[in-house]
Amino acid sequence: MTATGASLGSTAIEGKLRSPARPYGKKRSIMPGFGITFGFTIFYLCLIVLVPLSAVFVRSAGLGPAHFVDVGFSARAMASYRLSFGAAAAAAAVNSVFGLLIAWVLVRYEFPGRRLVSAMVDLPFALPTAVAGIALTAIYAPNGWLGQYLEPLGMKVAYTPLGVVVALVFVGLPFVVRSVEPVLADLGHDVEEAAASLGAGRVDTFTRVILPAIGPALLTGFALAFARGVGEYGSVIFIAGNMPFVSEVSPLLIVTQLEQYDYAGATAIASVMLVASFALLLVINLIQIWSRKRMAA
Amino acid sequence: MGITVSGISKRFGAFTALGDIDLEARPGEFLALLGPSGSGKTTLLRIIAGLEFPDTGTVAFDGVDVTNQPITDRGVGFVFQQYALFRHMTVADNVAFGLTVRKRSTRPAKAEIARRVEELLDLVQLKDLGKRYPAQLSGGQRQRVALARALAVEPRILLLDEPFGALDAKVRKDLRRWLRELHDRMGLTSIFVTHDQEEALELADRVVVMDHGVIEQVSAPEAIYNDPASAFVFDFVGESNRLPVSVRGGRAHFGGHAFDVATDGTRDGDATLFFRPHDVEIVGAGAAALPAVVSLARPRGGGTRIEARIEGREAPLELDYTGDAPPRPGDRIGVRPLRARLFPAG
Ligand SMILES: Nc1ncnc2c1ncn2[C@@H]1O[C@H](COP(=O)(O)OP(=O)(O)O)[C@@H](O)[C@H]1O
Ligand SMILES: [Mg+2]
Repeated sequence: MTATGASLGSTAIEGKLRSPARPYGKKRSIMPGFGITFGFTIFYLCLIVLVPLSAVFVRSAGLGPAHFVDVGFSARAMASYRLSFGAAAAAAAVNSVFGLLIAWVLVRYEFPGRRLVSAMVDLPFALPTAVAGIALTAIYAPNGWLGQYLEPLGMKVAYTPLGVVVALVFVGLPFVVRSVEPVLADLGHDVEEAAASLGAGRVDTFTRVILPAIGPALLTGFALAFARGVGEYGSVIFIAGNMPFVSEVSPLLIVTQLEQYDYAGATAIASVMLVASFALLLVINLIQIWSRKRMAA
Repeated sequence: MGITVSGISKRFGAFTALGDIDLEARPGEFLALLGPSGSGKTTLLRIIAGLEFPDTGTVAFDGVDVTNQPITDRGVGFVFQQYALFRHMTVADNVAFGLTVRKRSTRPAKAEIARRVEELLDLVQLKDLGKRYPAQLSGGQRQRVALARALAVEPRILLLDEPFGALDAKVRKDLRRWLRELHDRMGLTSIFVTHDQEEALELADRVVVMDHGVIEQVSAPEAIYNDPASAFVFDFVGESNRLPVSVRGGRAHFGGHAFDVATDGTRDGDATLFFRPHDVEIVGAGAAALPAVVSLARPRGGGTRIEARIEGREAPLELDYTGDAPPRPGDRIGVRPLRARLFPAG
């Protein structure tokens, strides 16, 4: 292959290059009102999020450091963290896979009942979580619809950590589907066709073209589903069995403390959960910023 | 590599996008598919590429039937209308994609791929932009990345869908001359889609004019312009005036005036007379010509563009005058169409 002798006119070569993204502060924006909107955002977040949350810390501070550690990091609390965070992560992972699949089907195929399926995806949002918990328990209990077939196979779902995961999969599904759906729709068919025209098979096209493009959105869905899972209470308590050290989630432990009028103890556990959740979500956000930056300058 | 399309038809539901298309691209040929929006150009190109499958008919490359081969196996380069670049990959990774997805046995070594990418970026004159992302490029540059990416797999056939559609006029002109050079040097057989007649006539060896899913004419650019096969082609490939006439005794009649035109094959009865603005003789009023009143005269190119109204016709005639004393608005003139063409009224 040799270079052609023809050359492009200067316009084509020099073509307006967009300068690499500048930090926001240095760029004059055509959108006025940054000061006001930013100020309001901070104020609003303080009012709705920060103030109530700091109340948790203030309350727990009443315990004193030694007692705080005793309650917040007791063996039982630690076991509940492991379950809550572990199950939430597992459920979010499951939802990432199947949520992506559902989003894919909803975006890419036109089929009768598509709207119905789409509406079904949102049901876990609308359903009172206790209803979901009761329904799931009825299905997965050893004598339930599904449970009776799983039991002989040695699979126990209800009243085990696995049951917790099942409940969290249920409540977290919409987050992944709804995060991924618009990005997938926007991705367009033509990049897939371009990959195929370059000789890429389905697997290469998926792993190297589609997945990286929807990665940030998928991560958002994962983060939302995860966050929801960590805090989930209503649907879990019915199916979990709530055995301390085995199938007791942190939110339940907090409620238990409250029922014993141990408010400081409850807030200690809540504080630990808060910090851990915040740290994890921050990490996810940073990964997102990093991956977004690579795509759009 | 030659391309033979025989008896292709394609329907989308009840809508016939392509009806019975026969087309041949000779090895090394640069073919333009020209037609208005919705005429089926993209559909035909996609069927040739293997992105779409026809309801009937076959596609063959060098005599080998590829109708049922998916695009992955056809070895054609395809440049998409919106470029379809991979946004999350650098320019260099975009170009390398076709090589890096090859099976291990045929995949070049990393260093070799890097060298090829360098070469291709050089070819499309984007040498220093390999590390950028598509979002950081201008339209013309993205276009060329798309082209380099398609060429990386060394296709023998290059298919381009409105390759210059999204670019501004100057960039477009440079780019198409350059593309033509590239085509010749690499010995490709290329088909490109356009709705711009000037582009098709300037660039292609032969032009395929399409309308409503059928081919109206396949000819060299000069023949398309000078010897259009149908009223549609005459109208689509250049400016034209049309007059409703009736044909009697070898002459065309319009409101009491008769023209001598080649009526070959046109049966007596209603017909439409077509002529181009520059194919007229403008004479003084009263001469044996179509009487008209100048309504507008403005300079254009080397001469004067005149709009003149005639009795019995709503729209004014568009005429070019190249002499020294152009008529002025209000003047009465006589118009004698030269090289006029008759097509059956439709
Ligand atoms: N996938 C499709 N489904 C339904 N109709 C289609 C599809 N693709 C193209 N068409 C229709 O076929 C006709 C020809 O389309 P196309 O080949 O894109 O025309 P062109 O490229 O000449 O503008 C258009 O009327 C278009 O609406
Ligand atoms: Mg098109």
